[in-house]
Amino acid sequence: MKNFYEVDGLIPKIELKSSLKAMDCYEDSPVYEEVVEEFEEIYEEMLSLAEPIGILGFGKISAESATKEYPEGTPVIYGVTSIGDGIKQCSTKAFQEGDYVKGMLCDAMADDALFSLEGRMMEVLKEVCSEHKVGILKRLEAPHDIPMASQRDAWECLELQTRFGIDISSGYMFDPVKTSCQVFILTEDAGTFKAQHDCRKCPNVNCKLRNIPKTEVTVQKGEEKHKIYLQEGESLLACLIREGYYVSAPCGGKGRCGKCRIRVVKGYVWITQEDEKAFTREELEAGWRLACMAYPVEDLEIAFDLMDESQFEILSGCVEEPKEKDYGSQGETSYNIAVDIGTTTIAMELLGKESGKNIHTVTSINSQRMYGADVISRIQASVDGKKEELQESIRKDLLDGIRRLTKEAGTDLRQIERIAVSGNTTMGHLLMGYDCRSLGVFPFTPVNIDFIKGTFEEILGSKECEAQIVLLPGISAYVGGDISSGLYACGFHETKEVCLLVDLGTNGEMAVGNKERILVTSTAAGPAFEGGNISWGTGSVAGAICSVEITAGEAKVKTIQEKSPVGICGTGVVETVMELVKDELVDETGLLDEDYFEEGFPLGRTDKGEIIRFTQKDVREGFPLGRTDKGEIIRFTQKDVREIQLAKAAIRAGAETLLLRYGVSKEQIGKVYLAGGFGYKLDKEKAIAIGMLPEEFCDRIEAVGNSSLAGAVRFLKNEDGEEILEKIAKESEEINLSADKDFNEVYMDSMMFEAE
Amino acid sequence: MATAIVEEISEFLQKGRAKNVKKLVEEALAQGVDAKEILNEGLLAGMMIVGGKFKRNEVFVPEVLVAARAMTAGITILEPKLIEVGNEPIGKAVIGTVKGDLHDIGKNLVVMMMKGAGFEICDLGTDVDADTFIAKAEEIGADVIGMSALLTTTMPNMKDVIDTLEERGLRDKYIVMIGGAPVNDSFAEQIGADYYTADATSAAEVAKAAVDKKKAC
Repeated sequence: MKNFYEVDGLIPKIELKSSLKAMDCYEDSPVYEEVVEEFEEIYEEMLSLAEPIGILGFGKISAESATKEYPEGTPVIYGVTSIGDGIKQCSTKAFQEGDYVKGMLCDAMADDALFSLEGRMMEVLKEVCSEHKVGILKRLEAPHDIPMASQRDAWECLELQTRFGIDISSGYMFDPVKTSCQVFILTEDAGTFKAQHDCRKCPNVNCKLRNIPKTEVTVQKGEEKHKIYLQEGESLLACLIREGYYVSAPCGGKGRCGKCRIRVVKGYVWITQEDEKAFTREELEAGWRLACMAYPVEDLEIAFDLMDESQFEILSGCVEEPKEKDYGSQGETSYNIAVDIGTTTIAMELLGKESGKNIHTVTSINSQRMYGADVISRIQASVDGKKEELQESIRKDLLDGIRRLTKEAGTDLRQIERIAVSGNTTMGHLLMGYDCRSLGVFPFTPVNIDFIKGTFEEILGSKECEAQIVLLPGISAYVGGDISSGLYACGFHETKEVCLLVDLGTNGEMAVGNKERILVTSTAAGPAFEGGNISWGTGSVAGAICSVEITAGEAKVKTIQEKSPVGICGTGVVETVMELVKDELVDETGLLDEDYFEEGFPLGRTDKGEIIRFTQKDVREGFPLGRTDKGEIIRFTQKDVREIQLAKAAIRAGAETLLLRYGVSKEQIGKVYLAGGFGYKLDKEKAIAIGMLPEEFCDRIEAVGNSSLAGAVRFLKNEDGEEILEKIAKESEEINLSADKDFNEVYMDSMMFEAE
Repeated sequence: MATAIVEEISEFLQKGRAKNVKKLVEEALAQGVDAKEILNEGLLAGMMIVGGKFKRNEVFVPEVLVAARAMTAGITILEPKLIEVGNEPIGKAVIGTVKGDLHDIGKNLVVMMMKGAGFEICDLGTDVDADTFIAKAEEIGADVIGMSALLTTTMPNMKDVIDTLEERGLRDKYIVMIGGAPVNDSFAEQIGADYYTADATSAAEVAKAAVDKKKAC
C-alpha cells in the first residue's frame, strides 16, 4: 500500500456570495454594486490563476507538536491543499498600488478557491481510509488545536518542497500562503469519519464563514432551570436576548463594556481576548465569560446574576411649577398622559384634562437597552432584522407603563383622552416600526419626523384604550422630538434673550436661540456621561458611586442610597476626573500618573470612614475608588479618563461652534439649560472645572431635568401647543459639526484639562 | 475654511467615488487651489472621517476600501504637484509583518489607514527580519516602525527587532508600534514596544498623535 496520495480531480471554485461575505460585504452595503462589479471583472483571471494541489500522507505526531491528548508518535494522516501563489500575488500587488478593494477581494477569492478544494479532498481521504481500514477520530488544525510545528511535520512528511515547491517560514507558515494543512487523528475503528471542519470547535470566532449547529444551553435562574437553543452563528448574548432574558449590554454585544457576565457551570466556553480583559484569572477558571463573545461549542449549563435595574433613579422632574400630587384625582373625568421615551429610561405623567394637574408619575427602564445602550446600536439592531422585536419591546414598555399609571392613580384606561409622546428620532422610528436604515448612514434622512397622530391601536397595537396618540415633531435625524419638546418647555419660542439648551446625553444635542431664530446641532459625546464605555461605569443605580473626593491620593466616595459600591455613575465619573486633575494625578493632557501608585498609599475610603488600603498589585490598573461586596476593586483607568476627555470636548466644542455660527458671544447667552438626568445631578462647577462648559456660563446654568417630558406636558395643557411645536420643529436650522473646521479645532483644544 | 471644491472632494472620497475625486482634484488644481490644501482638507480629511466611522462600526471594511481607493486616485493626480511644492508628510513609517509570518491583510489595512493619515509609508511586506526593518527605517529616516504578527510562534520576533534597536542604541529614535490578533497591551509592555493598537484606524490615529508629540518635544 502507498504512503502518499496526490488528490486528483481538484476543481477550484470561487463564489460571489462567500467571497463578499468574507470581507463583510453584504447586499445592503452602499458599495455592494461596486464590489460585485470588481468581482465580475477579475473573476475569470483569478480562476485561471488558481493552481490547485492536494496531497494526503501517513505520518506521526512529532515531539514538538505533541499535546497532552495526542502525544508524540500518534499516527495521523496529514492533508495539504493549496491553490498556489498567483491569486495572492495579485492581492499584494493591488494593495501596493492603492487598489484596496481589489487587494482585499483577491485575498477573499483566494480563500474561497482554497476552501472549495475541501470536498474532493474528503472524498479521497475516505478512499484512503477504507483502503487502509482506518477511521478518522478528529481533525486538527494549527494553531488552534495543535502547535504550528505540525505544519513543518506535514511539510517534511509529504515532501512538499521537492514535490510542489512549497516553502515553509521560520514561523511554520507555508509559502504560498494560500495553503492549508490538516492533521487527521487515526482510529482503528474504520466506521468513524470525523474529518470535517467543525466550526463549533474552532475558536476563530471572527471567521466570516463560521457555521454553528444548534447547541443546547440550560439557564439557571434562582431555583429554576430553562433550556434554550443557540441558533447558527449566534452568540450566547444574542440567544439570551432572543429568549427574553434581560442582560445588560451597553456596548451592543461587541465585547467592549464587560457587562454581560455569565458563569459557565457545566461545559466549556473558549476564553477570548475580551474575556481576558474583563475577568481575572480566578474568575475565568470559575467559568466567568462575556455572553456576547461566547460561541459555545458544546451543550452548556450557565448561571448569571441579574442586575436589579428596577432601582434605577429616573428623572421625571419638570421645568415648570412644583408638582401638586393629587392621588385622589377628584373632579376629573378624563385625563391626558405625557410620555418621554428616553434611550435608557421612560417617564410618564398622568394629567387631569381639565385642571392640567399632575396626578401621578411613573418611570421605567427602556427594555430596548438589551439591544445596546445608544441609538447607534439600536439602529444597527433594527437594520439587522430586529425591527419588529424592538417595536414590540417599546410597545410593551409603554403599555405596561400606562396600565401602571392609571391603576396606581385609581383611574381607568377608558378615561384617557390624549397621549403625547416625546423622544429622539430613533425612539420614534422604533416605536412606529419605520425602517431605520437611513438614520444610520449619510445623509441621515429620517422617514417621518412630523407630528404623527394615530389611535391607541394604530400606535401601540392594543384595543384596550381609545386615546389619541401624538408623537411630537423632531428637527432632524439627530435632533429629535425630545429637543423640540425641550425647547418648548424652556420657552425658547417666547424669549427675546438668546438661550442655550444642552442635552448631556450620548448624542449631545444642543440648541441656541430665541423666538426669532433657533440653531441646533448634535455632537457625538458618547455614553461616558451615562457610565457607558467606562470600565466600572454603571447607570444611576443603588450603590453607584456618585460623588468622589480625592485628597493627597486618597479617595472618599459616596454611593447612591449609601449602598456598597457597585460601579461609577455619570456624576461620579465627572467628579473622579475633576478630583484626579485637582490632585495632579492626571496631568493637563489627561495622562494618569501611574508612578504615584507604586508607593502603596491608602487610596480608598468608603463614606463610612473605613480606609481601604490597596496593595501595589491592586492599583496597577487604575485609580481605585472603592471595593464592592465581592471584594473587587473599583478602578478608574487611563482609558476612562480618555473617554471623558472625548465626551467633554465634544460638548464644549459643540456649544462653542454653535454660538459661533449663531453669531453670539458666550457673555450674550441668557440662560444655559442642562437637560437630562445627568445634567440634573451634575454639579455645574464641576462641569466647568473639567472644561465641559465654559466658565462664562457659571452663573447662568439651570438644570431643567426631563425637559422632553415637560414639553409634552406643556403641549397637552395648552391649545396652541401644536402650532408652537410645529414652528420650532420646522424653523430650527441644523448645522453639521462633523466636517466643521472650527469644531475640530475647539474639539482638540478642549481635550486638555486646565491645571489649577 | 476649506474651499468648496475641496469639501466636495472629501465628500466624494467618503462615498468612494474614485472617478469624481480624480476629476475634481484635476479641476481644483486647474483653479489654482493649493495642492497641500487638496491633500489635507480634501483627501486626508475625508479618509479620516471614514476611518472614524469604521472604528465606530458605522461603516464596514468594503466602504473603507472603496474610499481608500478613491484616495489613491486623488493622490496619484496630486503627486507631481506635491513634489513641486515640497510637501512634507506628517511622518514616515516602515511597516511589515515580522520574520516567519506571512500574513499580510492586517498589515495592508494599517498601511492604508496610515497613508490616509498623511504618512509616507515604506511597506516592507511579510517575513521581514530585524535587520531589514532597521536598515530601511534608518535609510528613509522613519519616525515609526510598525510590526504585525498573527501567530504566537512569530510574536517573539517583534521583541528581536526592539532588542536589536536597543543594542545599536537606536531605540529612542523610533516609535515602535505593534499589532495582530495574538498581540495585546501587556505584550507590548513586556517587549518594550511603545504602542499596541487593536485596529487599523487606531493605529493611524496613535501614530499621528505620537509623531506630533515627538516632534513637539
